[in-house]
Amino acid sequence: MTPLIEVTGLRKVYRSALGQSRVTALDGIDFTVGPGELFGLLGPNGAGKTTTVKILLGLTRATEGSARVSGLPVSDPESRRRVGYLPEGHRIPGYLTARQTLSIFGRMSGMETADIRRRSAELLEQVGLGQWGDMRVKKFSKGMTQRLGLICALIHSPNVLLLDEPTDGVDPVGRREIRDLLRAEASRGTAVLLNSHLLSEIELTCDRVAVLRKGKVAVAGRIADLTRKGEQYKMIASPMDDALLAAFRESGAAVERVNGHVILSVDGVQHLNALVDKLRAGGGMLSELSPVRSTLEDVFVDLVRASDVQVGGMEEGRS
Amino acid sequence: MKLMWASMEDVWREAAARWTLIAYFFLSSIFLIIFASAINLDIVDGTLAGAKLFGQEVQMGGGPQELSIERLVLGFETGFSAILYFLCTFMAIFATAHLVPRLQEKGTIDLYLSRPVSRFSLLISRYFAGVLLAASNVIYLLGAISLIVGWKTGVMNVRFLLAGAIILFVIATLLAFAFLIGVVTSSTAVSIMATYGLFFFALMLVAHERIEAAVSKEWQATLINTLYWIIPKTAELGQAVVAYVGAEMVPERIASVLTPAPFLTTAAFGIGCFALASWFFQRKEF
Repeated sequence: MTPLIEVTGLRKVYRSALGQSRVTALDGIDFTVGPGELFGLLGPNGAGKTTTVKILLGLTRATEGSARVSGLPVSDPESRRRVGYLPEGHRIPGYLTARQTLSIFGRMSGMETADIRRRSAELLEQVGLGQWGDMRVKKFSKGMTQRLGLICALIHSPNVLLLDEPTDGVDPVGRREIRDLLRAEASRGTAVLLNSHLLSEIELTCDRVAVLRKGKVAVAGRIADLTRKGEQYKMIASPMDDALLAAFRESGAAVERVNGHVILSVDGVQHLNALVDKLRAGGGMLSELSPVRSTLEDVFVDLVRASDVQVGGMEEGRS
Repeated sequence: MKLMWASMEDVWREAAARWTLIAYFFLSSIFLIIFASAINLDIVDGTLAGAKLFGQEVQMGGGPQELSIERLVLGFETGFSAILYFLCTFMAIFATAHLVPRLQEKGTIDLYLSRPVSRFSLLISRYFAGVLLAASNVIYLLGAISLIVGWKTGVMNVRFLLAGAIILFVIATLLAFAFLIGVVTSSTAVSIMATYGLFFFALMLVAHERIEAAVSKEWQATLINTLYWIIPKTAELGQAVVAYVGAEMVPERIASVLTPAPFLTTAAFGIGCFALASWFFQRKEF
């Protein structure tokens, strides 16, 4: 499937006004986001996340490499025809009402008035702003402004969504609504690129992530793969007596008892199945068996703390 | 075209919400009220028996003298056209100089540039919206004064209304300069100060020949002369407004003042400024 976002060898060097000092914000990054994918861009401050998004929008020019959106180079304004963008700390003009905001930005995206009216009503309802459509934005709370910013990015039914901290300032219920909205968009084939510091949010929303560090892709891949902790499994069964655990240890498994369950370190799926057989042979009942995962935050912190970037961790720095 | 209308709506709504539009028209209205109450005409059997402006007897040639209504209207409007030239220009710059700096604010520019519009289209649409805002005020002021004068005297001078085009031409040129400063500095205050500065500097350069004669070095004289030809001719265009309005009174002045050179060089300056503003805006990284 043709990717909707395609970044190849992207490099960006910022120069000071007199060209005396240089900062490399991006140092040859590659990634793609396909239709229907929810992709998270992570990284510590200054890793190059915002620069990447700005290049994709044509707000900043790349020093080297290429970036394409919907198959078009980002230098072509037409590449933004079907792009929805929610910048971090956006400032929707406070003098406009929610409906006027959607109308102005919808028309700037080439929409017809009737379509804007229909879509505005639909989206305002969807994010719980139905009653606030004719209220000036300056009266909105931070969470409401954020929701308006999001539907402003969605007004023209984009096929690429670039979102910078979309749930910033939004309450837990609102966050879930936004997640549902993004999933619904992705299920319609929209490519979603999420740039956020809220790792738990990314973990709940995205399919794949790329972690940027010092302008490079330190690691990229599916969240499930990144967070999996080798061959460790959590087992809850009864009875889980010492004799059974000793039998497990005899087979070569490392066993650790933790709060009513055990963590098994095994040599693969066959070994795991052999342990399950031992449990059943002893008349035990298995109630839960799941791979042990670390959180995305653990993965992120480990990567950021690492002294050297292990480029190519999961997918050779590409996805 | 959709972008143009959307941009116009945005600029007008902003002007209304930020009280710019209201203040703009409020000040104009105060001027009109003062003007309307300042004129007192004594017309007997269709002829002008006496006239007062700001409580002063209108005189000609040193003593009270009977005037024709038409001549009085021409005199009023010619005098007021000079005041309106300054008033309209100053208010227009004050009301529109923020258009680019506000657009370039962090968090705002991203919202606009993430739409499928070229930067040039975005800039020019705001420029036209600003010129339209200024035009509405020029039409309001000149139109209302014409109506007040017409209502009080029954005389309409079409030239007074048409002179608004020259005023608007100067505003459009200065706004292009304000846009250039706005793009480069992102500061409304600097845009306003620089544009007013340019206006006054250009007024001084009307005496460029005398300044050139007074300076001691050749290169200084060349610089003054070059600047005179580059920057807008705000003094000459002001004179053109007055001469055009009072053409029926002093027809010989028209030929000497309404020449193409000030218009052409001023237009070239405006186009140059906008082209430069557009170039900087295209290259700017946000």
